[in-house]
Amino acid sequence: MALKLTYHGETTVPVEIEGLTPDWACDKSVAEIERFETFHGNRKIPLAEMFRVTGDASDKRLEFEGNLSGVHWIGAHMASGQIHIQGSAGRHVGSEMTGGEIRVHGDCRGWTGAEMHGGFIHVHGNAGHLLGAAYRGSVRGMTGGTILVDGNAGNEIGLTMRRGLIAVGGNAGDVVGFNMIAGTILVFGDSGIRHGAGMRRGTIGLLGPNRPPLLPTFKFDATDRPPIMSLLLREVRTKGLMFDESLLTADFDFYRGDLVSVGRGEIIFRHDESTATVIQRQHVPESVQA
Amino acid sequence: MSLFKIAGGIVYDPRNGVDGAVRDIWIEDGRIVAAPADLSVRPGRTLDATGLVVMPGGVDMHCHIAGPKVNVARKMMPEARRNAEKVVRTPLTRSGTMGSVPSTFATGYKYAGMGYTTAFDAAIPPLVARHAHEEFFDTPIIDKGFFILVGNNHYVLKQLQESEPERLRNYLGWLVNATKALALKVVNPGGVEIWKCGGNSINGIDANVDHFGVSPRQILTSVAQAAMDLKLPHRVHVHCNNLGIPGNWQTTLETMRALEGRRAHLTHIQFHSYGGNADDQTTFKSEVPALAEYFNAHPNLTTDVGQVMFGETTSMTGDGPLGYFLHKVYGRKWFSADTELEAGCGIVPITYKDKSRVHALQWAIGLEWYLLVEDPWRVAMSTDHPNGGSFLAYPEIIALLMDRTRREEVLKRLPPAVRENCVLPDLTREYTLNEIAIITRAGPARMLGLDRKGHLGVGADADVTIYTPSADYQKMFELPRCVIHHGEIVVDQGEIRLNSTGKLLHATPTYDEACLPDIQHWFEQWYSVQFANYPVSDDELHEHEVQTGGNGLPQTG
Repeated sequence: MALKLTYHGETTVPVEIEGLTPDWACDKSVAEIERFETFHGNRKIPLAEMFRVTGDASDKRLEFEGNLSGVHWIGAHMASGQIHIQGSAGRHVGSEMTGGEIRVHGDCRGWTGAEMHGGFIHVHGNAGHLLGAAYRGSVRGMTGGTILVDGNAGNEIGLTMRRGLIAVGGNAGDVVGFNMIAGTILVFGDSGIRHGAGMRRGTIGLLGPNRPPLLPTFKFDATDRPPIMSLLLREVRTKGLMFDESLLTADFDFYRGDLVSVGRGEIIFRHDESTATVIQRQHVPESVQA
Repeated sequence: MSLFKIAGGIVYDPRNGVDGAVRDIWIEDGRIVAAPADLSVRPGRTLDATGLVVMPGGVDMHCHIAGPKVNVARKMMPEARRNAEKVVRTPLTRSGTMGSVPSTFATGYKYAGMGYTTAFDAAIPPLVARHAHEEFFDTPIIDKGFFILVGNNHYVLKQLQESEPERLRNYLGWLVNATKALALKVVNPGGVEIWKCGGNSINGIDANVDHFGVSPRQILTSVAQAAMDLKLPHRVHVHCNNLGIPGNWQTTLETMRALEGRRAHLTHIQFHSYGGNADDQTTFKSEVPALAEYFNAHPNLTTDVGQVMFGETTSMTGDGPLGYFLHKVYGRKWFSADTELEAGCGIVPITYKDKSRVHALQWAIGLEWYLLVEDPWRVAMSTDHPNGGSFLAYPEIIALLMDRTRREEVLKRLPPAVRENCVLPDLTREYTLNEIAIITRAGPARMLGLDRKGHLGVGADADVTIYTPSADYQKMFELPRCVIHHGEIVVDQGEIRLNSTGKLLHATPTYDEACLPDIQHWFEQWYSVQFANYPVSDDELHEHEVQTGGNGLPQTG
């Protein structure tokens, strides 16, 4: 039986529940959980002032209900267990989490999965800006785990990402993978401008029907259909994100950059016949593959 | 105010020749007083210090805790504070943030909590003195002051170019008064100006400063002379040219030689004692023995170390080219500022790693300086906070100095090349508590010319730190049993008991006011502020006290 947290707060002031994780709650009584210290603006209040608490968390499963778009830091720092959010959630969902699973059956606001180190987040609606991003000033952002978004995401997703996977079913905003160190970001819809600016390594797949503009510091590399693309896409599909199935057998155009930085990253588009140079890579015959 | 007696403590007061003797300390009106001759006089309050170690409050003579550079470093590195220890608000104290550059309030509380009651910011461009004073007002408990940067100031360079030593002296005298500073500091004299004009790092102290045709040597000797002629409490504070560059020890030696016959303080000397070739890191080595030999033989010089400690910190300097150099070496974010006619500034986050041969040698070179300077009165404890590490590392450094097996343990985990390129493994010297009291309070107070700091003689400020003796020296110095500032208990077993603003300590040298029209003309020609708005007036200050001590020839031994 899960712990059910029904939000009944009516306030425009941010409510912050940082630290209310399955790991913390699993051995607490309802009364203890009701006393959990949360912030309402700059005021400390017990959780019960904003939430009705029922059930128990011994199975490390939390279920949030209500319009939580003004409730922030849900599942931040969690290490294990499950959180289900029925409805929309605020900022910093699953921030710095190291394990476990968060499913949002609605929209999320900015900083979802920011500096995530492990675990799984699936947003069934839209996510805001800075999905899986590094906080301001950090030398590295997301270092592990998976973030899936069925809908759209905003700007600067995967900022300074180091490892892990971010996949967005819908559209994304500007500068996907800004300052990326490594890791993988896939966007299946359209996206804005200046993607991969400053990226050192890593992979950004911008696989929507309309190719976004590319910075001049990316260089065309090859048109190819490497097996890894098919493997990666199947993996994403297995984890629960739907996309245009024709991608599984599509050709892709690879670009290398950002050449103002280390330049070992890649941006991948669906192959476009009108691409100026087409270099067909020589595939290793299957017979010699290990 | 009634008498306050600290009874029966084991007192270390090197300036008054007390080395671990059981004494009573009497306090009245915030000052140390003589024991009442009339034995029937009872103190209003008594603190039983039996079995505890009693020292004067600590004095940090070189740190960076105020002004725009510190503020930029705070803003530039939110990541350093986000996951750091939090300084939580209490009914008595304000909240703050830590990281390598703590907020103003946290800085005051942490210094006091560690038993330090006085600290000096070592690099304030005169133009921003007002900002530094505002931040001092928000830096609680400790007494403080600052040195102003003059080594790349255009007016200074112009006077040297025109051979006007008197005008230079009067200008510097006016400037100390106008900014409410304690001392004059030169940072990479001439080198910052050369770099600001698009040049590279300078090769030595006889380089030519563009447009002015003067050399670092001229700047050094002239400012050193002016500081002496103005009878400033503290001699000229010198950050030599070529900081951090392998092979820079020769520049440092040249600087020492150039200063012969004049009093000078060479700051964070660890960063200036490197042998080797600038183009080949594998040649990096310690040149402390050669420098220390010269230093020991020349009592006109004093120094503080600028010890490097392993971990995350921030390089913060008035040496603009150094900031650029570090940014190039480490590829991390970098801030540079140009304070119009006066100074430069560079800020770069830096991580000192014990696996790095260069960093490990820097650590060893710092310790060599403490151990190779024969007269502890001439070497002061510093990490050049936050450049080599935080001031909060002082207890750890004390433990390293007092216990050579502890040094040996650290050496064991450092790259083997360290042993071959320095003499630290051969140094068996261990500091005594009395010597620690010298390098952390009595010595720096004397070097700064603070007559009422760093000792417990009659008339001294009643700044007293009481420690619980322990074989674990780091623990002992990290958590004093009790800290007394101006006769009041401010910290009790790590907890702040009394919040205060602390005093500003500054100097007011006399100068010839006939110099003013020329300075005013200079301001009207070139400055972005009006001459009349430039000086910091008395009513802008919180509680302050003029320092007049330290005059005359060097007091050594």
